[in-house]
Amino acid sequence: MSPPVLTIDDVSVRFGGILALNSVSITVGAGAIHAIIGPNGAGKSTLINTITGIYAPSSGRIEFLGRRIDGRPAQEIARRGIGRTFQNTELFGELTAIENVMVGLSRHINYGITEGALHFGRFARSEMRARNDAMAYLAFVELADEAQSIAANLPFGKQRRLELARALATQPRLLLLDEPAAGLRPAEIAGLNEILLGLRTQQKLTIVVIDHVMALVMAISDRISVLDFGNKIAEGTPDEVRASPEVVKAYFGEGRAYAGGV
Amino acid sequence: MIVRLAFSAIAVGLFLLAPHALRDYQLFQLCLIAATAVIVLGLVVVTGMAGQISLAQSAFVALGSYSSAILADKCHIPLWAGIPVSAVVAAFVGFALGQATLRVAGHYLALATLAFTAIVQLILIHADHLTGGAAGMPVPGFAIGSLVLSKAGQLYYVVVPAVAAVFVMVANLLRSRFGRMLAAIRQSETAAASVGIDVLRCKAMAFAASAFLGALGGGLLAPLTSYLDPAQFGIIQAISLLAMAVIGGLRSPVGAVLGSAIFILLPDVLQHFQTYLGLVFALLLCVSIIVRPDGLASLRVNPGRSR
Repeated sequence: MSPPVLTIDDVSVRFGGILALNSVSITVGAGAIHAIIGPNGAGKSTLINTITGIYAPSSGRIEFLGRRIDGRPAQEIARRGIGRTFQNTELFGELTAIENVMVGLSRHINYGITEGALHFGRFARSEMRARNDAMAYLAFVELADEAQSIAANLPFGKQRRLELARALATQPRLLLLDEPAAGLRPAEIAGLNEILLGLRTQQKLTIVVIDHVMALVMAISDRISVLDFGNKIAEGTPDEVRASPEVVKAYFGEGRAYAGGV
Repeated sequence: MIVRLAFSAIAVGLFLLAPHALRDYQLFQLCLIAATAVIVLGLVVVTGMAGQISLAQSAFVALGSYSSAILADKCHIPLWAGIPVSAVVAAFVGFALGQATLRVAGHYLALATLAFTAIVQLILIHADHLTGGAAGMPVPGFAIGSLVLSKAGQLYYVVVPAVAAVFVMVANLLRSRFGRMLAAIRQSETAAASVGIDVLRCKAMAFAASAFLGALGGGLLAPLTSYLDPAQFGIIQAISLLAMAVIGGLRSPVGAVLGSAIFILLPDVLQHFQTYLGLVFALLLCVSIIVRPDGLASLRVNPGRSR
């Protein structure tokens, strides 16, 4: 088996007196879609924010492609190849859709400050290529028609897809999606599933999805880790997790009727 | 492309025509507007584009004016060389100040930059042997070889083309990946970091650019006003510069020109209201914030998005 892309090893995160994550260990294999699920307040977003360097873990270590990334600044972690989206979308609202994606491409545009000031040398060709690449990413998430729309004016579902395009533009090795299906209609969720499966099979991208929308997670995940109150309570294939009594308890409470759908 | 060529041709034509059509005093005002516009352009970059409020601009103007004048006075380095050197030094100072202060934002950043302006002004007053202290110092003439440009009509040929070149370059940069990065940081630092942008470094670079432009404008102003008085480089001036940027339009290089022109021409138009000039500017600022928060520059038709 190929070495894991992401190793979360005994990570705890403490905010004052609150233990948001308690000794969580998760290993994400190469080319997998790995879901992390749990009820509200389970620590899912804390985990993604710790992986991406917004928070530093209080203890434990995180390795990405064999190198430690815990406690490193967010931009450095992004440069090493971790792209992400945000739970409530964090777009550059005043920029157009294509400009949002071009910001994602920034590091792959190679002209310097003099060329930028004088618009000569590599400038024209570089900008042209960035524009074409950005259009390709927009087309991939089916937003080509909205290239010149101001990001803040897009409907929510399209904002989510634009954020995905921007994250893909950084050419990540690992993609972290924070509740990508929240607020989407069932048809949009099906479309998102298609996109994510395509990314895994065609581009061999490793994907970590955080969600509580089961329709998305169960349909596409290779492995699922379940968090509850900062602890990992279960892990396995979708079928194993579905059968786990701890998971049923965490989601539906003890004694409550099994509502189906899990 | 043809439109751009036509515009350039008209601009060059006007530039060559102006000395024949305008009186020396009007050329002097034109130079003042141009030099001030460079200073305000610095605020367009750091405050308008990068979203970092700066009240340090008059300190950078002072750095440019004083150091180029001192270099000419004590070391006999002509102003044409001393001004760019001073601007580069100011850029490094701006970068360092940025690294130190940009960890804070909003009100705290405003206060930190305000303090910087106050400190620089105090140094100007107390470093008598270099700066002439509270009494100030005369600015050596702008000499190119043995030719000394003393009249506004002569300085015009240096100041206006230099400013035009700077404006073209900054406008180009703002329409490049660097401009997009600043806009990204202004709108979401978290998202900018998530795509690999070093937010603190970019903000410090924007600060360095504003310091460079402030010092460059200050260096160009010095031979025009021909005398430096530390009272010209205080907190009031820092606020006035910010007001020019806001009235003209914080998000546009054109706004820097418009804002500067208003602040320099208005006192002439309102000669009989000299006492109330401060009030006029204050009202102008209020009205502009309420009626047109993007400044006068937003009145023009948008000439096709950046491409």
